[in-house]
Amino acid sequence: MRREQITDKQAICLIIIFYIGSSFILGVDGESKNDAWISGILGMFMAAPMLFMYARILSLFPEKSMFDIFELVFGKTIGKAFILIYIWYSFHLGALVIRNYGEFINTVAMPETPIFITMLVLTVVCMLAVRSGIEVIGRISASVLPILFFIITTVILMSIPKMNFHFIKPILGDGILPVVKGGFSAFSFPFAESVVLMGGFFSLKTKKSPYKVYLIGTVIAGILIIIITLRSIVILGETFTKFYFPTYVAVSMISLGDFIQRIELTVSVVFVFGVFIKSSMCLLVSSKGIAKLFNLQDYRSIVIQVGILMLYFSYTVYDSIMEMKGWAFIVYPYYAFPFQVIFPLIIFMAAEIKVRRNKKGDENSI
Amino acid sequence: MIILVVIAYSLLFIFEFFPLYNQKQWRDLWLTMILGLCSFTLIALLSFGVKIPSPAMPIKNVILSIFGK
Repeated sequence: MRREQITDKQAICLIIIFYIGSSFILGVDGESKNDAWISGILGMFMAAPMLFMYARILSLFPEKSMFDIFELVFGKTIGKAFILIYIWYSFHLGALVIRNYGEFINTVAMPETPIFITMLVLTVVCMLAVRSGIEVIGRISASVLPILFFIITTVILMSIPKMNFHFIKPILGDGILPVVKGGFSAFSFPFAESVVLMGGFFSLKTKKSPYKVYLIGTVIAGILIIIITLRSIVILGETFTKFYFPTYVAVSMISLGDFIQRIELTVSVVFVFGVFIKSSMCLLVSSKGIAKLFNLQDYRSIVIQVGILMLYFSYTVYDSIMEMKGWAFIVYPYYAFPFQVIFPLIIFMAAEIKVRRNKKGDENSI
Repeated sequence: MIILVVIAYSLLFIFEFFPLYNQKQWRDLWLTMILGLCSFTLIALLSFGVKIPSPAMPIKNVILSIFGK
């Protein structure tokens, strides 16, 4: 079968959209109030070593996905246990992202449409994209990102008259602890979530590509997320944590010359594209994991069934939007910590040992 | 509701399972059928108004019992 390949540019675009997916609309942190932008910066710096670790694991085994690496490093039995763990994580993450989308549309745009229908529509598009392969998702990302950049920049420029910069004061008014907690929250959602992409970046071109993709993608997306958070703070003040979708509310306040109004729709456009790419990647990774687990020839034959199961799971996972927001900011960082830090650390150490032993073995045989 | 579900799954059966059968990909076919059976059971339960338990609350309870709040 032909090997799928995406260019570094496409992968960078993909990772940027993956990051801004749901954090763009939910915000990065619910604890540090008007210091959330500092939490964003802190989260980005906290994530940097982890991202280097993910990139290192990928570059040790070029052209291999996360699931191939598990089997190569740990052997069949333990490798399969790791595969199972990451199938669950990507499946769960995909379901949570679809649910975020469903709640958003249900709250701000179509309150009378059943949430199941809005989520079904997104899932069908995701299933089609994943069946087409990672190359298509990469090309969509590369062609959509400039439009998203244009929208974000224009909206930020339009919101300048509504900004009150004294809202960011007092800086560190509640002390450093809430900011550190917020930084941890921003670390796990969205930066370290890119562990899922290790299952999709089997298709990068060179050995150095993972470093480039993770570094440039994270810096651009991080700056974007921090600017957006800062924009929401200077428009809404301390109350911005009280909204379910602060970005949407902040943009809805823009009114220029009485005729440029109600431009919050643009936020929805960015969010919908972000969620589409993020849930597609989660679906792709969990399908690839299941295909690897059962030694299937191709993951495409199970994409529809996995997508449908993901949809049902996202439908049943929360009872209300309050539960969703609470879970995302209070429980999720702790729940995701093993998947984002502990297991990758174990894999990283085992992979390094394995590669060095192999090298030594080769040298001795010469 | 259940009629809609049955129609949707019949269509899925035709467009998803038959191509795999024709290509003689037995492993893929079996897995797809098992996953399809799971999803059909879930949606049938949902359409009869049965509440499917979510793992969100148990995970939350475990995390809060470890880290507190």
